[in-house]
Amino acid sequence: MITIKTLSDENLFTAGHTACPGCGVAMSIRNAIRVLGKDTVVYVPASCAVVFGTTFPYGAWKVPFFHTAFENTGACLTGMQAAFEIKGKHVISAGFAGDGGTYDIGLQSMSGAAERNDDVLYICLDNEAYMNTGIQRSGGTPFGAWTTTTPVGKKIQGNRRFKKNLGDIVTAHEIPYYATLSIGHPLDFIRKVEKAKNIKGFRFLHMFTPCVPGWKIDPAKSVEITKRAVESGMWTLYEFENGKKKITYKPGKMKSVKDYLLMQGRFRHMSEEDIKILQMWVCKKWNLHYKEKGEPDICEIVQPEEHHGITEEHREMHGP
Amino acid sequence: MKKVMMGDHAVAIGAKLSRAEVIPAFPITPQTLIIEHIADLINDGEMNAKFLTMESEHSVMSAAAAASAAGARVFTATSSQGLAFMHEMVYATAPLRLPVVMVNANRTLGGPPGIWCEHNDSMGVRDSGWLQVYVEDNQEALDMVIQGYRIAEDKRVMLPIMPCLDGFVLTHTVEPVDIPEQEDVDSFLPSFSPDIMLDPVKPAMIGTFMPAEYIMELRRQTAGAVESAKHVVMEINDEFAKTFDRNYGGLIDIYRMDDAEIALVTTGTVTSTSRAIVDELRNKGKKVGLVKLRFFRPFPIEELRKALAGISAVGVFDRSISYHGGGPTFMEVRSALYGMNITAVNHLAGIGGRDVTEDQIRKMFEITQKAAKGEKVNTINWHNTRGESV
Amino acid sequence: MFELRFHGRGGQGAVMAAQTLAEAAVIEGNYAVAFPFFGAERRGAPVLAFARIDSKKIFSKTQVYVPDCVVVLDDSLLDTIDVVSGIKPEGSVVINSKEEPDEIDLGKELRTGAIDATSVALEILKAPITNTAILGALARVTGIVKIESIEEAVKTRFGERLGARVGERNALAARIAYEKTVIGISKGIKKLETKKQWLPSYQELPVGGALIEGRTEAGLIGPGSFIENKVSGWATFRPVRDKAKCTMCLLCWFYCPEGTIVRISDRGDLMTNYDYCKGCGVCENECPVDAIKMVRGRV
Repeated sequence: MITIKTLSDENLFTAGHTACPGCGVAMSIRNAIRVLGKDTVVYVPASCAVVFGTTFPYGAWKVPFFHTAFENTGACLTGMQAAFEIKGKHVISAGFAGDGGTYDIGLQSMSGAAERNDDVLYICLDNEAYMNTGIQRSGGTPFGAWTTTTPVGKKIQGNRRFKKNLGDIVTAHEIPYYATLSIGHPLDFIRKVEKAKNIKGFRFLHMFTPCVPGWKIDPAKSVEITKRAVESGMWTLYEFENGKKKITYKPGKMKSVKDYLLMQGRFRHMSEEDIKILQMWVCKKWNLHYKEKGEPDICEIVQPEEHHGITEEHREMHGP
Repeated sequence: MKKVMMGDHAVAIGAKLSRAEVIPAFPITPQTLIIEHIADLINDGEMNAKFLTMESEHSVMSAAAAASAAGARVFTATSSQGLAFMHEMVYATAPLRLPVVMVNANRTLGGPPGIWCEHNDSMGVRDSGWLQVYVEDNQEALDMVIQGYRIAEDKRVMLPIMPCLDGFVLTHTVEPVDIPEQEDVDSFLPSFSPDIMLDPVKPAMIGTFMPAEYIMELRRQTAGAVESAKHVVMEINDEFAKTFDRNYGGLIDIYRMDDAEIALVTTGTVTSTSRAIVDELRNKGKKVGLVKLRFFRPFPIEELRKALAGISAVGVFDRSISYHGGGPTFMEVRSALYGMNITAVNHLAGIGGRDVTEDQIRKMFEITQKAAKGEKVNTINWHNTRGESV
Repeated sequence: MFELRFHGRGGQGAVMAAQTLAEAAVIEGNYAVAFPFFGAERRGAPVLAFARIDSKKIFSKTQVYVPDCVVVLDDSLLDTIDVVSGIKPEGSVVINSKEEPDEIDLGKELRTGAIDATSVALEILKAPITNTAILGALARVTGIVKIESIEEAVKTRFGERLGARVGERNALAARIAYEKTVIGISKGIKKLETKKQWLPSYQELPVGGALIEGRTEAGLIGPGSFIENKVSGWATFRPVRDKAKCTMCLLCWFYCPEGTIVRISDRGDLMTNYDYCKGCGVCENECPVDAIKMVRGRV
């Protein structure tokens, strides 16, 4: 098993790349490729990582790199892996796609590769919006978040939908391995990448990668924020192997989501009402992931006022 | 060995004989029989290749590009909406110089949807950098898959190529096809070995983000490769003729053009029907000829000028419309003839899969003849179209 | 016509500065245009913006090659970019610098106005965003627009986007910079060498733009070649490690998004390569024993 101490010194994603200071994607890429090693071929769809990782004639990748479009990470991995297999080469085909490239425009292509159980490693670098084009909402954007396409207006404030449950979508394909990772949890991170490296079939690593300008955070806090995300339940660390889910880190006590939100400019406008709504979502997620059999639901937050007393049953019985 | 088979089967056998290694596939009429037959060949152990059941045409061309970049010989086929759906990736493959062979079964590109032959699907990607060759019969379809790899993978070219065959008119028509011997194909077509590919032994970056300081040179380079393909097409045509005793003429094929006064320029299966009409008119003493435009990319400007030198009028057949100014073949042919004293008229026919009859072809010659005599005719003629008088 | 070129880094607001200047010129009844050079900027990477001011409609849609004025938002750019390239002999320079104009070597003797806009911004705005302060200095040096027009334009543009209070603060930053700007003549000693760039002809360009590791006259190209891209100019703060406190837990090495912190395995030590440090401060924030401190300026 690899630890921080035994992690390779070799920089397969070199210094001198042009990511923003404190970039969560750059951290995740650098460490993932350290574990995967040099017998890896990477596909990167349209994203910040294409630009800061390669700008002709320069590149940070020291392993083979391929890019063509936005929505085709799954398909490109399938294609290159087929070529390696027919040539008898033992190579890891790894894709590094963003949340937009996975949740939205690339969902079909990812699903195809997952459903076929192609022997590839799909990595989703989830920074919760289209950052390369300047912070637009994606299916991975959390409730309440400001983006340039969910602006904080006089009438509507921020994103009105909850983050899409990608984990359930991916695992519904009955693939051998799916895991969520956070750069702020290094041992868990390394262990999951190493595990995915050695499994055959379609593996999916879902990495939580803070974006300094997109989240409007202090660059120094980009690792700390992942820890706060996990402690609050906004991000959960688990893995899904051969049909079984396993929590790999359970926070001792759920921290209020507010602490997490206040660190980030993208949430700072949120009303108490909206924070409550988001907290309810987090509680639901928390209970789904962490609640042991027989334990009561954990959530200190009460329902928002206007929803009080009106349940779906109530509506059915009495009308709206 | 001669066998009676459909165009789609001939194409599949062409892919097998070419030892294509990766076949990303997605069904679309009238191409589906191609990939079905390849799947049969692979599952029966007659062909050693990876068959990838992709979930869309966009993914087909993505997987094709990636497999080609990783050094595999890639074959696929598509049609119409499928080609349109992979449009982005069609544009991605050529400048990255990935020599994929993809057969396009020409079909109406909706809306409104239709499944029959029209050339508007492949004409939509004529500026993508792909080479395009339009074939006339099932034998040529098979042969152009094999020749296609030689042309595409030639170091002077390194571009993808799209043999186009008329949907249903060829894809679903049986006729005798001479199947080349595998060993002859093997000696004609060596295995694919690109100089640079995705391989950890010698890491390369392919498809990097490219600033304005470089893209213009990359475009110029791609244009140069298409230009080089002209020479390579001729060279490989001649070599193929020597090995297999079938000569397609290279970029264009000329039929009875000696002392011709007028000519028809055609693409695809209409060429075949037109040959018979040329014979008929020649028997009546009319000095008519035929030029089969095989390659639309590279476009044979000099070859057309040479073939048509001396005639007074040319009729250009188009099976698609650019909605103003006639069909794309007409626009390119007329532009190629710039400065020559030749009247050019456009014959639009067979659009949406309407049958192109012998009478229509006679009419095309008749109108072209009138134009040659200086009589007033329409420049753009919609044949067999209600409301149009031709 | 008065033409300007702005040099800054992604996130410093060079584009916004050019746009605000245009707005100020329009307030005074002139015609003005401002536009960025659309690169692939990340925060900290060099960026360009341009502006033109005239009394009548401006038709030119090209970049500015012979500027009347050059505005430099970050003097670390002087190390790598010939910012005064093409400037008219009578042209002027506005630069964000702690130094006096006659201490600043631009490679040409030019009328130069210097302002420590970073300090002004840190004091007034609590963030090193220097674009409004530099506009104050620009008004002072060139007189092409009045400081009052700059203040008004700043209030409008920043106020609309970020609220009236932010607009006011930024206008104040412009005013303070206007008053503090020192005007003199720059030094013209150093020979400014523009970084060599590999510019192959289309015949020399590798087929399809596919690159393997290679070296050109201008340096490395292909996989791993970013290693020659020194990004230290992006940083405002840089980390200093107290070796005595360090426990070699390697978390800073793991987290560093750049590869600034290098592990020297055979000596069991760490080394900081400042060439690649963009000054994010993650190492300081994450160090469990507070062995790392971020300090302002060059280390």
